[in-house]
Amino acid sequence: MNAENPFIPYLATLLSTADLTPDTKFLTVELDDPDVRDRFDYKPGQFAILSAFGLGEAPFCLVSVSYRGRQLEFAVRRIGTVTNALHELEPGAKVGVRGPFGNYFSLEQYKGSNIIIIGGGIGMAPLRPVINFILDHRADYGDLLIINGARTPQDLVFAPEFATWAQAPGSRLELTVDRGDADWTGREALVPDVVKELKPSAENAIAITCGPPIMIRFTLIRLKELGFTDSQIVTTLEMKMKCGLGKCARCNVGDKYICQDGPVFTLEQISKFMEQF
Amino acid sequence: MQEGLDLMPQIRDKARELLTSGAVDCVIGYERASDGLTARPLFAYEPNDVDKLIFDQTCAHNLARFLVNKRDSTVAIVAKPCDSRAINLLLAEKQIQRERVYVIGVVCPGIVEATWGQIGDKLQARCQLCREHTPLVYDFLVGEPPAEEPPAEPYHDVAEMEAKSAAEKHSFWAEQFARCIRCYACRQACPGCYCTECFAEQLDPLWVGIRIAPMENEVWHIIRAFHLAGRCIACNECERVCPVNIPLSLLNRKLEKDVLELFGFRSGLSAEAVPPLATFKKEERLGMSE
Amino acid sequence: MTQIISRKDLLSWLERLIGERIVIAPARSNGMVLFQRASRAEDIVLDFDNTALSPKESFLPLSEALFTVDKENGNIKLMPTTVDEETVFFGIRPCDARGMALIDAPLLAAPADALYQQHRARTTLIGLACSQAGPECFCTSMGIAPDDPSNVDIMLTKVDDSYIVQAITEKGKALLPSDLIAESEVMPPPAPSLQAVLTEGIVEVMPGVFEAPYWSRLADRCLHCNICAYVCPTCYCFDIRDYIDEGSIERVRSWESCQSPGFTRLAGGYDPRSTKGARLRQRFYHKLSYFPEHFGLIGCVGCGRCVRYCPVNIDIREVISDIQKLGAQSEC
Repeated sequence: MNAENPFIPYLATLLSTADLTPDTKFLTVELDDPDVRDRFDYKPGQFAILSAFGLGEAPFCLVSVSYRGRQLEFAVRRIGTVTNALHELEPGAKVGVRGPFGNYFSLEQYKGSNIIIIGGGIGMAPLRPVINFILDHRADYGDLLIINGARTPQDLVFAPEFATWAQAPGSRLELTVDRGDADWTGREALVPDVVKELKPSAENAIAITCGPPIMIRFTLIRLKELGFTDSQIVTTLEMKMKCGLGKCARCNVGDKYICQDGPVFTLEQISKFMEQF
Repeated sequence: MQEGLDLMPQIRDKARELLTSGAVDCVIGYERASDGLTARPLFAYEPNDVDKLIFDQTCAHNLARFLVNKRDSTVAIVAKPCDSRAINLLLAEKQIQRERVYVIGVVCPGIVEATWGQIGDKLQARCQLCREHTPLVYDFLVGEPPAEEPPAEPYHDVAEMEAKSAAEKHSFWAEQFARCIRCYACRQACPGCYCTECFAEQLDPLWVGIRIAPMENEVWHIIRAFHLAGRCIACNECERVCPVNIPLSLLNRKLEKDVLELFGFRSGLSAEAVPPLATFKKEERLGMSE
Repeated sequence: MTQIISRKDLLSWLERLIGERIVIAPARSNGMVLFQRASRAEDIVLDFDNTALSPKESFLPLSEALFTVDKENGNIKLMPTTVDEETVFFGIRPCDARGMALIDAPLLAAPADALYQQHRARTTLIGLACSQAGPECFCTSMGIAPDDPSNVDIMLTKVDDSYIVQAITEKGKALLPSDLIAESEVMPPPAPSLQAVLTEGIVEVMPGVFEAPYWSRLADRCLHCNICAYVCPTCYCFDIRDYIDEGSIERVRSWESCQSPGFTRLAGGYDPRSTKGARLRQRFYHKLSYFPEHFGLIGCVGCGRCVRYCPVNIDIREVISDIQKLGAQSEC
């Protein structure tokens, strides 16, 4: 982060864009200043604020892992003014980057545990670096179960990586969609129902989930039925964040600022918030 | 303030009756404010609450503004004549259902100038120009309808403004709008401003930029006034709540006057008449050829 | 011995300051007293209860560019806004000075908000003790005295036709006009007494009444305008967006309020705090619970502006005392 003036973004160049789904693009961005590029370390779960100059800035989780390379990767779903603008950019365009912000998944602490990743739609974005981190440090973790749902097969965000995830030792990838198409041979079920069907054991396990509010709500119910305690369930909150610095108070929930105290929380921490989000 | 105005017992009795019988879920009226002098809105849900109800010349708020929030329940509302015009507007624009609103109309002696902690002895400017002293829509009427007097000439200040040059008008309004802090109290107090998403908050398309600055303030105020042209019922709540004293009524009444002259229309006089600028008729071609 | 300055000399000092730097001071405008940039000392109002709007606007303006985007032959350069001119802010009341100190807590916490920090650093605060209290005033309930000099650089206290001058900080000392100040035996007058509301224990009571139906009932009459937040000397929420004007791009920050409908609405439309009751509750929880949890002080200074300007009389003193009652009931 730019300590001198944290509202001034670092300049960066959009290296490439690729369509992940009909409404989501994969953006690869490189910071222009080599010193900044070297310093810009981040951990799975952290986010950055991307600027499309003239249209504004918005927070996005970093979907890359810091140690694999210096290029920053984002999965941007077209949903508002800033995301529209980012979708229109061509490679070579200048963007702004502020960050990294927020806390991260306690991957050190999860060592030795079985990990269950449950993601829906664009909610897979913050989970991708977690999956890749675990696959890169395979021996440190137990079994990896990935349950990934989306509305349709075309909306599964990280499809090009599914083969890698599924074939890694000790890992299992379960896909589901709300509505299949002619080519779809997999599940047509809601994510919480898949959790119920697969019955992952709560023993020595951590469940990490992210997705639309309605999916989260029912997934939490299913996990609790399976014996997961609040401290075994981790999620990352999508709350309107603006400044990323705990100042503008947009993301204030209870006595927490999502951009500083979060976005990653255990359910145990969230249940201590007074407000329901 | 006018002495001997004692409409309170009748309002309370009716409110108690409506709540006790279950005819309504809530009575929207007035209670004494924390300064012990002025009034504020009261939402009475229990028969016990009705003893807090008051009515006097400090009861400025147009309570019709709250009706859209209570669409899902049946409510009674204490309505002055100007408020009753707002009820008609909301009925005409199909924002509320007549059978879900019980109107306790009050014959109005006029509201005095007051701010929190201070009551003046002068009637509000809009009350000095008031043409209707008896509510236009009610289920129960409190007070004796007075003989209606011919109204004072309501647009003398508008005419004065009209007589100025365009440059003078612009510099006057630019100065007024420049001090707006865009708290949107004018919008929030207005019974006619009920859009689920106001244009001022829309991002795509973007109508008003983020800056709270003269140019954006001007856009805000002009579009606000135009959206209320021929719809404004002249309760003047917008001006009363403005924390920086912008004379919004002057703008609203200019448009009121124009709509009156062009269409012979005054808003809120009936529950059936849709404001001319809120409707479109095929035969109105406004001089445009096919 | 105390140092005093006569009213006449105070005005000449202000006139001198106006020649040297920006002076912001209370002045009459459209039936209100507002802090405005002074061009003549004679326009400065010395006798007033308090200004209609709080002083925060001088430090956290309604709108301000954080930076501009300089596009020259395809290269982008970001030009941060800087505050270069020295300002004297005259006539700030003790409550409002505490208000600035409260806003400092979040905005100056590392990493500091650079622009706000510059506004604060470039400004010398000259406080004016209150010789009378308005009916809406309750600063003493928030631990502030009407003559509290804690958060200003220079404090002035009116005695007859003169002012007792106290230099509180080094910055204040440096600004004092030694030629206009006399020694005197006068004693400061007693501070005015004012209405109190019981704030003791409120922070502890708040968590227990979060689910009370009280909030949605209170919100019945709330208009959800932004008056309370915008007149408040301690509300500091803001929004950030870009602004394009004829090709030039600015990143602008503007005031925003937790009462406004878009405050928590996410791109795509989901709004976790969509109900009126929840939004109004957020205002009081931020002031009476979350802010004190984070920074140790209640986020209210008892200036009473929200009491005076709320169109539907949501009176924070009444809310505090209602909450105390609710808390006491739930303990039984």
